[in-house]
Amino acid sequence: MLRKLRKSLIWYVFVAPTFILYALFVAYPTFETFRLSFFQEVATRQEFVGALHYIRLLGNQVFLAALLNTAFLGIVFLLIIVPLSLVMASLLNNLHVWPNFFKAIYFLPQITSTVAVALVFSYVFQPNWGLVNGILRELGVAPLPLWLAEPRYVLTGSRAAVTILAVWVALGYYMLIFQAGLQAVPAELYDAAVVDGAGPLQTWWLITIPSLRPTFIFLFITGTIDAMSRFSDLWMLGGPAGTPARSLQTIVMYMYQTAFESNDFNLASASGVILFIVVLILTLINFRSFLQREFSSQSGA
Amino acid sequence: MASSENISTAHLVPALRGWLSSQRNVRRLQQIIIFIIMAIGAVAMIAPFEWMLATSFSRSANVAMPRIPTFWPSDPSTFNYKVAITNLPLVRYYLNSLIVTVMSTLGYLFFSSLTGYAFAKGRFVGKSVLFIILLTTLMIPFEIRMIPMYLLMQRLHLSDSYAALILPFISGGFGTFLMRQYISAIPDELIDAARVDGASEFTIYTRIVLPLCGPALAALTVLSALWRWNDVIWPLLVISDRSLYTITFGLAMASRSQGIFTGVALATSAIAILPIMILYVFLQRYIIRGIMLTGLKG
Repeated sequence: MLRKLRKSLIWYVFVAPTFILYALFVAYPTFETFRLSFFQEVATRQEFVGALHYIRLLGNQVFLAALLNTAFLGIVFLLIIVPLSLVMASLLNNLHVWPNFFKAIYFLPQITSTVAVALVFSYVFQPNWGLVNGILRELGVAPLPLWLAEPRYVLTGSRAAVTILAVWVALGYYMLIFQAGLQAVPAELYDAAVVDGAGPLQTWWLITIPSLRPTFIFLFITGTIDAMSRFSDLWMLGGPAGTPARSLQTIVMYMYQTAFESNDFNLASASGVILFIVVLILTLINFRSFLQREFSSQSGA
Repeated sequence: MASSENISTAHLVPALRGWLSSQRNVRRLQQIIIFIIMAIGAVAMIAPFEWMLATSFSRSANVAMPRIPTFWPSDPSTFNYKVAITNLPLVRYYLNSLIVTVMSTLGYLFFSSLTGYAFAKGRFVGKSVLFIILLTTLMIPFEIRMIPMYLLMQRLHLSDSYAALILPFISGGFGTFLMRQYISAIPDELIDAARVDGASEFTIYTRIVLPLCGPALAALTVLSALWRWNDVIWPLLVISDRSLYTITFGLAMASRSQGIFTGVALATSAIAILPIMILYVFLQRYIIRGIMLTGLKG
């Protein structure tokens, strides 16, 4: 008995470091974010205030705008990046000349820090002499877009500029994941389609895309989480307030500003809890909608 | 004139049709079209970096930028680089980035694989419950935990230290999960044989398990290094001492003060980017394989 206990003791030693760190940096902080969101600092003492901060947040225009903005930027980004990278990955998958060279080039922005890339793009989108407007001027476009200086919802405003930036950064990564998915599609499916007389486009639409369902689930879930916790690039371009006119402020930037500029850790924690709940709900919706489609297509067949 | 043109198109169309009737020529045309599309995209990927380099070597860029973007400096000079290096302790920043990245990655590899081995091959009470608890990490974004983590660092008097940048990241749910999956595929016979020979579990871990985990460890190295090297939000919270800035964080803070000098600002970002890019040229195969194995990015 003692021998048996001694034998399993070593396994507890092996998992202990990870669980000590888990307790300190995952379990405790998560719990503490929830706890702080129900308290208020009154003269160095924490006092229970119930849902006060949540009520404050739901009536706060700045917070609601940041929440909406984060969702808007995330949805537009995913609607562009997913089809674009799927098409590009499918094309690259059929290219026999230098496929690995292109893969490496498209992935380049991913290894470069978000900070450096955002810094370069703040100049790329400079309205008078930036790379983008310089090229547009040569092409005879007038008047030239204001990009990062235009806070309104227009196709040439700050939100468009940061979406172009995000797509430019993420394209290589999304292509890579799609390519991994494409290589996992069983060859027999393609053979069967050819026997049935399907053309290349038909095969792509009817065989390839449905076979990529796990890849879509993975990209939608991780893409949603990344988009909801977006911070670094927009913080670089617009500061914690998401200048101009808070058009680039996300929920994490609001959290940062509330905690470290207004010193209201309790209110910031409440916004963190709301972020957590939104991420959780979106993940579940992604899961469910994809699973449902799977079931309905199975029963239909 | 018009008639001769008509004649040539009339000849061209059947000629083209004839050319395309060969399956091999259709494939060739397909390849050319795909190649052109890919090349256009590749130019769009490279152009901002090239433009950054060209501008960073132009002294006059600090005063007035050319209205037409140039991809070669009109007045090549290293002036901006000299200013960037005297303005900021960039060597120090690099050293800090190296220390933080290497230490946290070594820790991440060691503890993830050690715990992963226990979950893959160990037999102990509560194994599956503990594993599920660990997996919840994947559902809790860092940003949600960051405020209490910052307060904890303050209370432990770890703010403004390497420990603050390293300690929270030397193990993790994702790394442990990946290592567990990978180690599970190692045949039990291999491990049992070593046990019969009287090897301790730690010896089995170092002598048998680790040498078989090359690809998984390589993938984790890539991810951990990219995460730590490029992180900015955590240093923003816990580091205020300039001598502890990492290169990424230092660049972010400098961009706020240098913004008006375009040439100097872009030279600074070139200094932050280029060494990583050169490293990428040599390691890109491993990096891309690692990302494809894990499905995660930096």
